[in-house]
Amino acid sequence: MQRREFLTRASAGLSSAVLCQQLAMTARANGAELLPAARTHHDPRAKQLIFVFLTGGFSHVDTFDPKPRLLADHGKTIAGESLRDVAQVPLLASPFRFSHCGQSGMEISELFPYLGQHADKLCLFRTMHTDILEHFQAALAMHTGSATVPMPSIGAWLSYGLGTLNPNLPPYVVLCEHLPYAGAQVWDCSFLPPEHQGMRLMPGESPIPNLKAPAETASIADLEQRLLADFNDLHARDRAGDPHLRGRISSFHTARGMMQVAPEVLDVSNETHDTLAAYGIGDSDRKSFGWQCLMARRFIEQGVRTVELIDTGAGDNWDAHGDMQAHRPKAARVDRALAALLSDLERRGLMDETLVAICTEFGRTPWDKGPGRNHWHRAFTCILAGAGIKGGNIVGQTDEYGILPVADPVHVHDYHATMLHLLGIDHTRLTYRYAGRDFRLTDVHGNVVLKALC
Amino acid sequence: MRRGLLVVASILLPMTCVADESARGEFFEQKIRPVLVTQCYRCHGPDKRSSGLRVDSRPLLLEGGEHGPAIVLNNAAESPLLRAIKGSDANLSKMPPDKSLEASVIADFETWIRDGACWPDTPATRNAFAAQRHWAYVPIQDIAPETIDQPWSLHSVDRFIEAKWRRHRLTPAPQADARTLIRRLSVDLIGLFPTPEDVVQFERDYRSDASTQDVVFARAVDRLLDSPRYGERWGRHWMDVVHYADTAGDNADYPIPEVNHYRDYIIDAFNRDKPFDQFIREQIAGDLIPDPKSVETTAERIKATGFLALSRRYATAPYELWHLTLEDTIDTVGKAFLGLTMKCARCHDHKFDPITTNDYYALYGIFDSTQFPWAGGEEFQSKKTPRMHFVPLVSKDQAAGVLESHQLHAKGLADKIADLEKSLPGLPDADQTRSKADIEALKRQHMVIHRRGYPIDVEAAYAVRDGNPHDVAVQIAGDPGKPGDVVPRGAIAFLSSVPLSIPAESSGRRELADWIASPDNPLTARVIVNRLWQHHFGRGIVATPSNFGVSGSLPSHPELLDYLASQLIKSGWSLKAIHRLILTSRTWRLSSAVDETMSAIDTGNESLWRQNRRRLDAETIRDAALDVSGRLELERPGPHPFPSIDQWNWTQHYQFQPRYDSNHRSVYLMTQRLVRHPFLSLFDGPDTNVTTDVRTSSTVPTQALYLLNSPEMAGLADAFSARLSQKNDDDRERIASAFELCFSRRATDDDVKRGIEYLDRVQARLTTTPDSRRLAWQSYCRTLLVSNAFFYVD
Repeated sequence: MQRREFLTRASAGLSSAVLCQQLAMTARANGAELLPAARTHHDPRAKQLIFVFLTGGFSHVDTFDPKPRLLADHGKTIAGESLRDVAQVPLLASPFRFSHCGQSGMEISELFPYLGQHADKLCLFRTMHTDILEHFQAALAMHTGSATVPMPSIGAWLSYGLGTLNPNLPPYVVLCEHLPYAGAQVWDCSFLPPEHQGMRLMPGESPIPNLKAPAETASIADLEQRLLADFNDLHARDRAGDPHLRGRISSFHTARGMMQVAPEVLDVSNETHDTLAAYGIGDSDRKSFGWQCLMARRFIEQGVRTVELIDTGAGDNWDAHGDMQAHRPKAARVDRALAALLSDLERRGLMDETLVAICTEFGRTPWDKGPGRNHWHRAFTCILAGAGIKGGNIVGQTDEYGILPVADPVHVHDYHATMLHLLGIDHTRLTYRYAGRDFRLTDVHGNVVLKALC
Repeated sequence: MRRGLLVVASILLPMTCVADESARGEFFEQKIRPVLVTQCYRCHGPDKRSSGLRVDSRPLLLEGGEHGPAIVLNNAAESPLLRAIKGSDANLSKMPPDKSLEASVIADFETWIRDGACWPDTPATRNAFAAQRHWAYVPIQDIAPETIDQPWSLHSVDRFIEAKWRRHRLTPAPQADARTLIRRLSVDLIGLFPTPEDVVQFERDYRSDASTQDVVFARAVDRLLDSPRYGERWGRHWMDVVHYADTAGDNADYPIPEVNHYRDYIIDAFNRDKPFDQFIREQIAGDLIPDPKSVETTAERIKATGFLALSRRYATAPYELWHLTLEDTIDTVGKAFLGLTMKCARCHDHKFDPITTNDYYALYGIFDSTQFPWAGGEEFQSKKTPRMHFVPLVSKDQAAGVLESHQLHAKGLADKIADLEKSLPGLPDADQTRSKADIEALKRQHMVIHRRGYPIDVEAAYAVRDGNPHDVAVQIAGDPGKPGDVVPRGAIAFLSSVPLSIPAESSGRRELADWIASPDNPLTARVIVNRLWQHHFGRGIVATPSNFGVSGSLPSHPELLDYLASQLIKSGWSLKAIHRLILTSRTWRLSSAVDETMSAIDTGNESLWRQNRRRLDAETIRDAALDVSGRLELERPGPHPFPSIDQWNWTQHYQFQPRYDSNHRSVYLMTQRLVRHPFLSLFDGPDTNVTTDVRTSSTVPTQALYLLNSPEMAGLADAFSARLSQKNDDDRERIASAFELCFSRRATDDDVKRGIEYLDRVQARLTTTPDSRRLAWQSYCRTLLVSNAFFYVD
């Protein structure tokens, strides 16, 4: 590619120093084949990411961070200056039993019996914390590192930094039936060039509408494609320096590629009965979380850089203010499917190249009048598994009630930095110049959590 | 709204004795903090710590510096701080070094320390101080443009813009050519491409004589501002802000057939250039300002309050979770008119702006004193609750009468049904059957009347009226179950020089509307001129058009913003005057071409050294495609084809979600809250659940799939090619015509040649298909409609 063309494509706004850096990061080929796999900052442990986002904030003390002292001190009120409303509100024991899982003996609650069988693959981050305890902001933060102003999503950053492995599919696919808090902003590319935006697939009858060319003109699709390319090239010739025009041209190439590839990816008829059964996928099911998980594996096989799964939307989710028992159906919906996904990835050797993140917005208060819990952002649990991750491993420790971290706190920025690290990216060096400054996923923060790595 | 008006109802404090804690706090804010900030912080603040001392918090004062604690509580005489400002201690430098504080100020410090150095430290007090200097909260300055040597343009707007270019050593792009301009202008003002005839005419006139260019251009601006299409385009922008939808947003998303009165009101208001201050008053309090001389005007003003009535509904039962609906009302009022984000103050004082929880509940009281309509909903406790509190569009005297006759009518039917049912058992079989049928018919009739909520022969609006005027208690942490202090109804304190004077028997909407629509309000005029600028340049002078607060963006051209706001007020709040002012500038007429050198200095084009190339928004894509295909129906459509009211049985599990296709302009499409319109949402249409200030402009493969493969696009392409063949027999002329319609440009010989080649090649490929030439044309037309040249305006 000509340098000049690169300049015009690499989006407005890169100073030349930054540009060189980006050139190394995201060398791109010409024409249609956007974003080939790029050079990384260091040898990557993982090539692809499956990002599982459980909407609403699941309770850490009811799932992955057992607190026997909550049971012992159930009903007792405790005081603490930093805990504003704690003084008046009693501690609330978990209604769920925990048991030791795997060789590591990691304790996981009865809500996740299937995932518990994979304990030795998981690394629990028990001291996650985030900045704002509202759904919208916390959902945005977990995706973009920013709790306030919308920024590019982690999937968009990975596409920008690493490029795509398959130009016929979008680099970032989001399987999401109902919009989460903050809606489509969580997979948006914000100021990054538009081709990095996540593409939402709706679980259901037609996850990607209009995937087939109209029968009447299907046989001339190639001619029409060339005509459109001619129109657009002619138009772009006099309009250098506009990444949006280029981005829109790419979107048509991706669309044509998807018309070829996506129907095969979405068609599960070549999966064995056992595989479908393991994911809990019934006849003609195209909607369950199991189906979403199977799609994740299939898209990963096709080289999609980031596949995101969102389990529920802004209504009816893990936000159990009323009763912790509401976690049961939510957990049942995802537990077996996630376990099946981990097994399946392992069996196919994909686990060596794929990083799996299971995360949420925030945790829930270890105190409350019950039987539900409120939002709590200063300690909660997220998970990483897969390539480069030391399994059966627990990072960080919260206090006896699960209120605050006492050792190895992990901020959302640290969680992001760790994921980027495993994907071969130094999070401080993947930057994009916009509005006068260099932006990155981790803002000016973030430390790679070395204890999580193997 | 005035500088330094932190403490609203200012209490005269006795100098010698400060009574209670809150009075002490006010004393500190009025007398002490301003002195500390302006006189001391520079050397004893966050940036510098001379002699080890910082004076920007009470603990830091007590901690002190090299000379020990700066204050000794309750002992002013022993406090080094006081001794320093008095200059009475030889060991201490006199402070501030460059001047002496006035004796009265020193006395204030003495009082303050003696009474315990009270330093209230809440976000609200901190913010109040910050806000005094926040650009958006100081009065609008009537600024004249900077005088520039040899200005690039004499137009006032250009001079503001040029001043910034000069500071950044930027050279502007050239002026755009005539065809680019008329296309840009047409899309900007009416949301449609210019007709080929308009283009040719404008091009001829604009080119003919450079000296008359400005006149020709201004005439084109006027022509488009006078077009009824203008109100449809700009009304739609306002509909984003007010989050217009044709449904209520409750769990079943009930339709509201009457709400289109408000939509039409908006469109008409823009077309008639209703003064914007009047537009505000009518939307907030139109029902309270009837026109005794005109029933029509009175009705129009009632319809205007659809703005408030539109507030989102939640859950199932009438007025359930009402505090959330009012939160939406307050959020929308704050953002739409004032550019203020009020929501945070529902639970706690705003983190960034000096908006307090009291402010929130002062406004809450106003809207809680207002009777909102209820649009119906799911069966509740096995009973179908009728719709209620729609506002009949008749005079007040008539209203009581029609409502009474309505109730009588309903009761009459109910009685008749009861009578018939009672007499059933005694009737012979044949008569029973007939009687049962009569009963069923009467029941349907009754259901329609009963559920409709107002008389069948009267027009009514989804609008508001005054309800039961009362003040409300603060809801502690936003919890309606935890009442705190009752606060009087009113406006936002830090922006009010005096509290609103609201009569006990009124909601206060009238007074609130006057306060917002006042030329003295520092926000209102700035916010609306910024919205106009935003839609003429693709980005506002303030890039966060609904957030002018401390957390919002700073204006790129603050003086220009104030100038435009002043001009708006001077023009009698005429939006069309501001459109003219902006559009006739040479800045607006700049080419959008990117220059690499300028781009390196100002990548984001903040200084507007060029115009911004913009993708069409969802409505314009659809309208323009319908228009060039000859399918667009320009007249205003009638009501949406909602099912008759006796069939309204939607529930949260079986939500209302039909789709009504039409060829009218997109502003008239039926839009819902719970389900987004498939086309509009695909191309970044607004979220109808919250007020939208800026739309995103995404480019995703699903859009491409729709454009390439959907039956809708195939239909449009067919219609387009049919239109072309009606116009011309010759393929060459058809191609030329297609280019004029889609791109407002002439097809070159090469364009025509390639087009013909394409059609021939496709036809050759489709030899077995009988109508291969039609399909070739369909394919060619579709490609024109989906190309970048169609989708972007230079």
